[in-house]
Amino acid sequence: MSTPLQVYEPFRAGLPKLGRYWKSLWSRRTFIKEYSKSELREQHFDSVFGQLWLVLNPLLLSGVYFILIVIIGGTTDSARYVHLTASLFLFYLVANSLTGGVKSVTAGQRLILNTAFPRIMLPISAVVIAIFKFLPTLVVFLVIKAVVGSPFTIEMLWAVPILLITVFLALALAIAISCINVYFRDIASFLPYLTRTLLYLSPILYEASALNPSLRIIEILNPLFPILDSWSRALVQGEVPELSSMLQGLGWATGIFFAGTYFFLSREREFAVRL
Amino acid sequence: MSSLSVSSQHITNELAVSIRGVGLTYTTSIDKKPTLKSRVKSLGRGTKQTRVVRALDDVNLDIQYGHVLGVIGTNGAGKSSLMRCVAGILPPSQGRIEVYGTVSTLLALGVGFNPALSGRDNVLLGGLAAGMSRDEIMDSFDEIAEFSELGDAIDAPMRSYSSGMYARLAFSVAAVVRPDILIIDEALSTGDAKFKEKSLNRVKELRSDDRALILVSHAMQTLRDTCNDVAWLHKGKLVQRGHPDVVIDAYQEFLQLGKSAAIDEDV
Repeated sequence: MSTPLQVYEPFRAGLPKLGRYWKSLWSRRTFIKEYSKSELREQHFDSVFGQLWLVLNPLLLSGVYFILIVIIGGTTDSARYVHLTASLFLFYLVANSLTGGVKSVTAGQRLILNTAFPRIMLPISAVVIAIFKFLPTLVVFLVIKAVVGSPFTIEMLWAVPILLITVFLALALAIAISCINVYFRDIASFLPYLTRTLLYLSPILYEASALNPSLRIIEILNPLFPILDSWSRALVQGEVPELSSMLQGLGWATGIFFAGTYFFLSREREFAVRL
Repeated sequence: MSSLSVSSQHITNELAVSIRGVGLTYTTSIDKKPTLKSRVKSLGRGTKQTRVVRALDDVNLDIQYGHVLGVIGTNGAGKSSLMRCVAGILPPSQGRIEVYGTVSTLLALGVGFNPALSGRDNVLLGGLAAGMSRDEIMDSFDEIAEFSELGDAIDAPMRSYSSGMYARLAFSVAAVVRPDILIIDEALSTGDAKFKEKSLNRVKELRSDDRALILVSHAMQTLRDTCNDVAWLHKGKLVQRGHPDVVIDAYQEFLQLGKSAAIDEDV
């Protein structure tokens, strides 16, 4: 008798075989590509006006917040606006990953109930979609920076590793929250409050250096704080960001990634009966 | 006719799936949608949030290549749970399942998971998730579209589909995409008379191939016509397995319905 291709046996709590899981995930990478493509097409982001809206939305948002800063803080300068747009656009990369990720597993119910595949593909796709929505805003930011006359320096390239850390963090958060939402469906309803709070706790409407020392606890507990600070330093001020800040951001991302992925992988075989 | 997922040839009567002492117990939430709010509100009251479901109990079943196995049972008998175990979607709690062939999925029912996307996108994504390549799906896409007779609607968002259109597309995917072990789970029971006949003919065509076919259905006449074997599940246990006429007669007697029109005519 030939050997069976697949054997299904009871599993103990814990992780599936990671090698096989990774292989299965890698062989389905086209799914992630096609899924994000069709999702973006469905939201009309493949058309000129769709792209325009994608840019217009954060642009209007940054305009509104700029008015807020002017009113509360009195006079302000163009550098402040550049900082605001840069930080806000990166923040929305994380926020969009969270909003896309939170329902990725619960919305994939039909697929999960009827097809065996690595479930982690769903939150990963949500992050890929958020990245595609982020890229055009990056171009807009560079145009704004040029128009305002803010200098372009070689140090701005530090933004690349910072962006990678941000994507890693966004992925970690999306995986964790998509899994939590299976057990507590109202997390999706709490999420807007969560992201709004995160927005105010991050150095976006203010600069990191302007933070009252008594509030430094925010800087330590908010994973986005060191990342956004480094991002602004590199991209807006054209300086070399502090290595400690970048490492702090990377540390947060790694921690959340391992905890979230462990939680997800050890639970995903149960999703079919929980949905 | 283009066929796809061509895998190793299988000999008739060779073992396709072996199910040994399989039990399935799972915990599911009592609420349809478990929320943090309800959890917090019931804190300290000791009310249970979950209940344990025993879906399958010591099921032993072999399925050979070249055979068509019908699975019958009342609602909640564990038919779909057993199919999900065979497809690798739910890991069993006890026992062992060996699958000798390309992993079959209940692909048909996975179609349309995202109602905002078109039928075309859903077929592609469902296939990709099941581990097929883009080219494989694209090669058979025309055949799927043609078989479903959906016409231009294939490019419309699936939320605009009627339940009949859903079922037609789902069955077409199952009928065209060809794993070694094909599971069709009640996909036959929707659609108009013409499509029912067409799909019934298709099942008979598929039967002649060197593949194992599992039909989960309440359509007794269809099962009598197409199956070599019928397994009857009741409350998670395998009650009887054998010749379709024998098992179906026993099942119908059990239901105390006799050969009522309601059972025979529901194709």
